[in-house]
This record gives sequence, structure tokens and C-alpha cells, in this order.
Amino acid sequence: MSTLLTHIAVSDGKIKRASLEVLSRMTQLAEANGHSSEAVIIDANASDHVDEVQKYGASKIYTIEDAIFKNHQNTPLLKALSKVMDEADPFVFGFGSTESTKDILGALAANTDAAVLSDVSEFELTDNGIEVTRPVMAAKILSDNKATGDNILVSVRSGSYDLNESPTEAEVVDIDFSFDESELKATLREIIGASGDKIDLTEAETIVAAGRGAKDDEGQELIEELASVLNAALGASRALTEAGIMDPSLQIGQTGKVVSPQLYIAVGISGAIQHVAGMANSKVIVAINKDPDAPIFDIADYGIVGDLYKVLPPFIEELKKIKS
Amino acid sequence: MKFYVCIKQVPDVDAPIQIKEGNLIQDTDRMVLNAYDASAVEEALVLTEEHGGEVEVVLVGPEKAKETIRKALAMGADKATHITTDNDVDYDSAVYAKVLATFFEDKEYDVISCGKQSQDTDAGLAGSMLAQHLDLPYATNAVGLSMEEDKLVVKRQGDAGQEIIGLPQPCLVTCSNDMNEPRIPSLKGIMQSKRKPMETIALSDMNLDEAALSAKTKVTGYMEKPEREPGQKFEGEPDELAQKVATLLDEEENVI
Repeated sequence: MSTLLTHIAVSDGKIKRASLEVLSRMTQLAEANGHSSEAVIIDANASDHVDEVQKYGASKIYTIEDAIFKNHQNTPLLKALSKVMDEADPFVFGFGSTESTKDILGALAANTDAAVLSDVSEFELTDNGIEVTRPVMAAKILSDNKATGDNILVSVRSGSYDLNESPTEAEVVDIDFSFDESELKATLREIIGASGDKIDLTEAETIVAAGRGAKDDEGQELIEELASVLNAALGASRALTEAGIMDPSLQIGQTGKVVSPQLYIAVGISGAIQHVAGMANSKVIVAINKDPDAPIFDIADYGIVGDLYKVLPPFIEELKKIKS
Repeated sequence: MKFYVCIKQVPDVDAPIQIKEGNLIQDTDRMVLNAYDASAVEEALVLTEEHGGEVEVVLVGPEKAKETIRKALAMGADKATHITTDNDVDYDSAVYAKVLATFFEDKEYDVISCGKQSQDTDAGLAGSMLAQHLDLPYATNAVGLSMEEDKLVVKRQGDAGQEIIGLPQPCLVTCSNDMNEPRIPSLKGIMQSKRKPMETIALSDMNLDEAALSAKTKVTGYMEKPEREPGQKFEGEPDELAQKVATLLDEEENVI
């Protein structure tokens, strides 16, 4: 019996859904293959999250609690992750593919001599490793990869697996950890534009995304109203984040966030492959664009050819009626 | 200030791609400087133009990758090292990181930078691996860089917002393509690039052991991504279209 370990990422006091998706998958694989599904929570208040993690089938939960984990910093996180790998000796160690994961995954692999595959959309166990599918070439192509070894790291794109509750009574193991701030060479000075209680794009059920077509004040007001009616997260194409019109954290695409909501409404977005790479896995895609030949219409389930300033006001009114 | 920028030659993701018998085939065989690395080169040039210093690019790749090195030199990098490999190597990020770590062992530098990922595989691993091998403080996904005495100040796009991180030098940073618009080489730049020093080192002469060069991960095949079928496209009176689509989303799709 081997250990399948999942890293539970906590940001702003909340567990990232992507981590629980990975844990759900790990628990399923553990049951099917006679392995043990375990989890590790590394946070300033790690023990607060044990109950939530137990719901997804972890039979053992490691906690590493230290005030240093209040904000993401790669040095202490790497130290904690290396320590838990020593302790748990996982055959597979899974992560939700967040920006914090991307910051440390390569370093952790180098540190522990583990094989690593990042940003996968599917993974399976083999006798001596894992087989995965990853989107490549701006997500136009899927590549099959395999990794072999005693310790394998894998990060999984958010939305790749459904949450699946299978409650257990987990053994909780608190790992002794201390970190002296004088060990920090890199220093975190401040965090600008912290998202606070905004809806996380990678976890949103509904996303309203704006492109070049919606760059002026009137366009911005309309998309904000549309998002508010639908209780949606706001997203943007690179054109708008680069122009400084929308916050860079809202960028969707190969460079920005990869999202998979139930409903994606693309307003004034032409649909360059780099943008599509970040949103093509949405369940239902609606595109509003005045150019009938915009590539976004090739992937949209519902395309509205028209001027967004004329289409959005009645669209918002209709949605309000449906919602009420 | 000595800046090393690690660059990579990659297929152009915008060019048409086919899969034949599980292999990726690009009819054009158009190879380009990885877009994220181009941003790293641009940022190194901007910082050294402002604060003085030298930019050297390092590329691990086959002979034909020389054209990509020339591109970085034409943008304005001062010199280059080309670590040459065979044409069809199946190295993963870990192998590239090991090769680069070996190269940097006896080098002196203030900053090593590279793109945050390569645009063909999007793996995003080699940068932090290299930092770990060299025991350097590092930051990934930089969207802005500035210099402050002996520190590199990085604006990093993180999960919770933009983190401002001070890195003592020597350090390593991986760059997003959101930080700048890489310059297009001028004719003068292209002419000058031909006279700039380029050192070539054969990977086989670097005394790397078998283990360092054998990849723990392998690509076993490629598939076309199942394409989304275009759905319904509506044209006409905005009021009618808005009503029609809103109703469909509510009644057919149940997503409102």
C-alpha cells in the first residue's frame, strides 16, 4: 500500500477548491488501487480546516501550522513541503494548479529528486508511476505523458475533476515546524490589490469576460452590471489587462487563469487562441461580438452578432426578469 | 550588473499543427524565440540600459536554434552561449535545469532570468528548478522588475494579488509576457548581431552523468483536442436576440 498525498492550499482563510478536486480524485484512485489517500494542510490556521478536508476521504491529515504561512512565500512553503515528503513518503503528491503551486513545484521536485508533471487535465496510476494528459501548444493539442519513480509530483488544472464527498474519520498528525524569518532571503513587502471577497475566477460558476470591444467606461459599466445580475466573476482578455483597464489578476488565457465555469459570457472578445486556451473547457459559452467572423463564434454555443452597447442592455433586462 | 537570460527555441503555436502517427507535425516547421523568454530578454535590456551592465543569453538546443540566439542578440543582448544538443532529444524540464545549473556553476552573475514557461509545453518548471540547484532566492511569474541598490524588486502576479518581493542578488526570476512588449530587432540590430560573440559548448563535453540526462517523464503521444462544435449564431434585432439567448440559457441550458 502506498500513500497518495494531496496538498490542501489555503488562501485568504479559504481552502482552494482545486485542492479538494485533486483530493477527491486521489481518494477515488486510492480506493480502486488499495492505496491510502492522505492530505497535508500548510497554513497559519491549518487545524481549522481539518473538518472540511475529512469530507473528501483523507484517512490521515498532516497539519503544519505557522504564522509564516499567512501569505504565500516560496522559501517556507518549500521547507514545509520537503518536510512532509520526508514524513509521508508519498508515491504520488498532488496539487491544485494555483499560482502558489506553480511557484514551488519545480523547486520541490529539484529538492527531493522527484519526477514532476505540471498542469495536467487527467491522471491515472500505473504500477511504477502515473500517466497523465496535458494540454499543450496553447491547449490546441493534448499530450500523453508518463512519469516513473518512487515520488512523483503532479499539479492538476482546476475544474478537471468533480468534488466527491466520502467522509472519513482521519488521523490528524501535526508536524513540528519552525521557521526563522532570518532564513528568508526573498522578502515579501506587500500585496497589492488583494482579491479579498471577490469571486475567484478559477472557482466561479459563471464568468463574464470583457475584451477590447468593451474597453470604454460605458462598456465596463455594462459588463459589471451583467456580472452583478448573474452573480458572476469578472474576467478579461489580455488586451484589457495590458491596457491597464482591468486588473491583471482577471486575465483569462494561456498566460493568465485557466477557467472552467458552467457559463462563460465573452463580451467583445475576438477569441485569439491564447484566450481560448484558458476558457475552452467552459460548459456553455456565449459570445457577443459585432464581427460575424470573430473566431470566438467557432467555439461559442450561442453567438450573438451585434453591437454590445445595443445587445447588453436588453440582455441584462431579460436576465433580471428570469432571476426575479 | 551581469544579467543572464535563459532562452529556448520553440515551435510557433500559431502555425497550423497536425498529428501523424502520434507525432506532432508542423508543415511550416516555424521555430521562434519563446514569447515569455522574449519578455525576459526585453526586461533585462531595459534594466541594463538604465543601470548599466551586460546581458548574456544562454540557450540549450540543437544547431538550428542558432537563429533564435541571433534574434535575442539582434534585440540587443551583448553575447551568447549556445549549449548544443542533438536534434531529437526528449529532455524534460528537469534535464534542462540540470544542464543550465552545470553551466552556471563557475559563472558570476547578479541576476538569472527566463520566461515563466515555454509556450509549447506550458510546463513552467525549469526556472524554479534551476534556482533550487543554484540555491538562489527566486520569484516566478514576474509582471514587473526594478532595481534598488543590491536588490531586484519583483512584482509577482500571485493568487491573492500582486506580491512585491525584494530579492537580494544574485537571484533568479521568471518572467510573464505581461510585463512588456518585446522590441522588434532593428536592421542595425540584426547587422550587429552577426558580429556579437557567441560561444558554443557541446552538451556532450559538459561531463553530465547519465542520470542527469535521463528524463523521468516522457511524452508518449499526442492527440487532437476534441473540438468544440460551433453552436447557434444569431443575427438581427438586438432586443430579440437578447431575449432569445437569455431564454435559451435559462430553459435549455439551465445555467442562469
